[in-house]
Amino acid sequence: MTKYTIKRLLQSVFTVLLVVTIVFLLLRLMPTDYFFTEDELIKLSDAQKQDRLLAAGLLDHPLVQLGRFYTKLFTKLDLGLSRRVQTNKPVVDLIASKFAISMRLGLFALGISLVIGVIFGVLQARNKDGILDHIGTAYTVFVNAVPSLVSYSLILVFGARLLGLPSLYSVRKPGPSAVLPIICLSIGSIAGYMLWTRRYMVDELNKDYIRLAKLKGLSTRSVMFRHVLRNAFVPLAQYLPYSILLTVGGSLLVERFFSVPGMGPLLTDAINRYDTNVVQGIVMLYASLGIVGVFLGDILMTLIDPRIRLINKGETR
Amino acid sequence: MKKLLTLALALCMLLSIVGGGAAADELKELHTYEVGATREVESWNVQLSQMAVDSNVTTNLIDGLLTNDPKGALIGAAAKEWSSEDGGQTWTFILNDGMTWVDYEGNIKADVKAEDWLYGLEWVLNFAKNDSANTSMPIEMIKGAGEYYDYTKALTESEGAEVVKALGLEKFLELVGVSAPDDKTLIYTCTDKLSYFPTLATYNGLYPVSGKLIEEIGVDGYRAVSWDTMWYSGPYTVTSYIHTNEKVLTPNPHYYAADTTKRFDSVTIKIVDSTDVAFSLFQTGELDHVTLSQSNLNTIYGNPSNEWYPYLTETRPTKFSYQIHFSYDKKLASGEPDVNWNTAIANEAFRLSWYYGLDAVPYLKRQNAINPLSGTNYVYTGNNVSVNSEGVDYTQLVRDEIGLQYSNEEYARTDPEKAAEYKAQAIEELTALGVTFPVYVDYWFQGSNQTAKDTADVLTQMFSDTLGDDYVVLRQNTYVTSITQEVRNPQLASFLINGWGADFGDPINFLGQETYGEDNAYYSQVISNINKATDETLIATYKEFTRLVNEAKAITDDQDARLNAFAKAEAYMLQHVLVLPWSYETVWQLTAINDYSKIYSAYGIQNYRYVNWETNSDIYTTEDYAELKAK
Repeated sequence: MTKYTIKRLLQSVFTVLLVVTIVFLLLRLMPTDYFFTEDELIKLSDAQKQDRLLAAGLLDHPLVQLGRFYTKLFTKLDLGLSRRVQTNKPVVDLIASKFAISMRLGLFALGISLVIGVIFGVLQARNKDGILDHIGTAYTVFVNAVPSLVSYSLILVFGARLLGLPSLYSVRKPGPSAVLPIICLSIGSIAGYMLWTRRYMVDELNKDYIRLAKLKGLSTRSVMFRHVLRNAFVPLAQYLPYSILLTVGGSLLVERFFSVPGMGPLLTDAINRYDTNVVQGIVMLYASLGIVGVFLGDILMTLIDPRIRLINKGETR
Repeated sequence: MKKLLTLALALCMLLSIVGGGAAADELKELHTYEVGATREVESWNVQLSQMAVDSNVTTNLIDGLLTNDPKGALIGAAAKEWSSEDGGQTWTFILNDGMTWVDYEGNIKADVKAEDWLYGLEWVLNFAKNDSANTSMPIEMIKGAGEYYDYTKALTESEGAEVVKALGLEKFLELVGVSAPDDKTLIYTCTDKLSYFPTLATYNGLYPVSGKLIEEIGVDGYRAVSWDTMWYSGPYTVTSYIHTNEKVLTPNPHYYAADTTKRFDSVTIKIVDSTDVAFSLFQTGELDHVTLSQSNLNTIYGNPSNEWYPYLTETRPTKFSYQIHFSYDKKLASGEPDVNWNTAIANEAFRLSWYYGLDAVPYLKRQNAINPLSGTNYVYTGNNVSVNSEGVDYTQLVRDEIGLQYSNEEYARTDPEKAAEYKAQAIEELTALGVTFPVYVDYWFQGSNQTAKDTADVLTQMFSDTLGDDYVVLRQNTYVTSITQEVRNPQLASFLINGWGADFGDPINFLGQETYGEDNAYYSQVISNINKATDETLIATYKEFTRLVNEAKAITDDQDARLNAFAKAEAYMLQHVLVLPWSYETVWQLTAINDYSKIYSAYGIQNYRYVNWETNSDIYTTEDYAELKAK
């Protein structure tokens, strides 16, 4: 297991660096006009533009820039400064100031989604083709069919006008102002957990060992929770660490809609503003989280289901 | 006696109620907004920042030398007096007493001194400190500024950035024409006699920074200065800031002009996702004003019983003067010259047929469906940029020259008869030159932008209706992300509609962009491409226009004569339709703020100072606003 872990970690580091290098070089392939705002393109002379690029170190060969980037990263753990999102602020500080907000909202939403989604999924499976199953299916179809912005608008109107909840997220008063963003973050995930829990439960319910358990006189409750849910939960559990870690990334739509100062819109903003250091920092973070999440998911799966082995006869899974 | 006393008391009470009522009518706290995360402050360093979103906030936090009043006239801010003894070459500014720098908690850090402006300008001109931002106007106007910039640039290349960052004021004072003989006096020496130099004193490039602050947090610290590390000398300090969420400004407790400046108890600026979200917040009372999107405006205006119908009010035009800029050296997608277009647009009768034929009203309705004519623009230079000694706006002088006046009744430039005459003349002359009709006009807009697509449809229809499909046909083309990369650089557009806002208060800031054969003429270089044109008649016209502009520019001792000469040059440009004036932006809103009490300047960064605003605790009605406008 240790050997497997070390090997996976080394692979992960290599993958992250590869991703960052590719993104770094792709960004340098963009025309330097993107460095300037349209207003600057209008008002700056060619000489002034060259001076600005020179001062930013963008006139050097991309590989020289890459070398400089990795030197700073490995010697000082320095991802550089933000150019425009928050001018001259260290990228690490910029990301740190945002990810906690996204993660807090995301974890709340994930917890709520998991509890409601799994419970409702179990109830749907238990009452297959019954009224609860139809309600759950209708909800899932509705959430997936209606564009997110429309459902968010409905929630905003309902929550703000009828319930008097704040329309915008406030860091100073996070309690009530977080309600609507959390609801918006949850509605899609609830549908997802309901759908997959129901599906895996129904699959398990049709298996021979469940029929045997029932014949042996086990109570429905015992069958459902001790056997069916436990087995049905294994595929869901694999993605749980990944989902938890990705809460750091926030939601582009929800955070924009409720002005949540989180990670969601940061990547697109940084790309739009040619803020290359921020883009590289976020890419590195997301790549790391993704890889670590999958790795932890594999570990968690083996803990829940001892039949699963990551190493088989000296080879990795 | 008792009756008299009772009467006096009653009168006092009545007066106090009336007085109190008037006071209660004003908003104590302002709740405003910006749309989109890209409207968040990028830099708190006023010298470094070039973005309006930054200066909209920082102009409240630090006082420059001068500011503007609601009519755009220059008034003192940090400087109480300014004058020139030699006709505009040397300018002396005398600072107010009692000015202090404070931190965001209101603790006094230092006195504001004249040398703070030296540190500010040194910072701007130092290649290693300010990334060459905001250098162009100081270099153009202040003696020795360019030399110091070049010196720091060369030194950066030879000695490295750290050496240049460590520079103090010695070399700067040796090279640059600025000095502070005492704590209250600041003297600038200009490159020439520049009557409009004080207008530059409202701009970032001439803002102060305390040398003590730079010493305290270091050069890199000041480059990355933030709301909680900067020092304040303006009417407000920032007491709370959450990036892409909200900023709260509260009055600076040590503001030197506190007694004469009306301020809000707090100003909360929220970042919202869209104007629709802003409208929603306005309806729940969380904002004090909202600019209406086209759809919201149509919903309200289309239904007189809508609750907001009586409150629709129109904004003042923004400072940008929009023009149709022709390309005189257009290319095809293959990179070959578009000979048909280039020949046609070089013909004056062809251009005049557009001038008299195109009725801009359908286009103006796109941005202002209720009162489209308020966006009418007949001249090139923006309104309010400069006034003569009698207080007459420069654009009025131009309109007198070309014989067009604004009216709420009609779009006066259109003249179908003249348009038809010029069209016939153009067809005859151009056919002889081998031009084929219809002439295809390539118009470009961003493909993902539905609003731009709708506007393109309106333009297409407008060209068809007014000039005829047998003559010109507008061809719609789309770009993906960058109009500069995809359209302007490869010279693919027949024309671009572009707005220009002044940087300082003189017509040269506009007209100087269109001259022939001059490096600093932006529009000539990158949009009209006139320097690459080959038609001799067209080039001669441009050269004459350039001569008139330079003649006006050379007049430095008589402001009225200067403006009159510029007006003649601009009229010449318009009469020969080298560009086609097009529009101003005005939109509709619901608001508790009297726009006519705000600073309204055509140049500089002062328009968003939250000082001396008149407000109403209720939303202004349409009638209220008509009265305010009339006043």
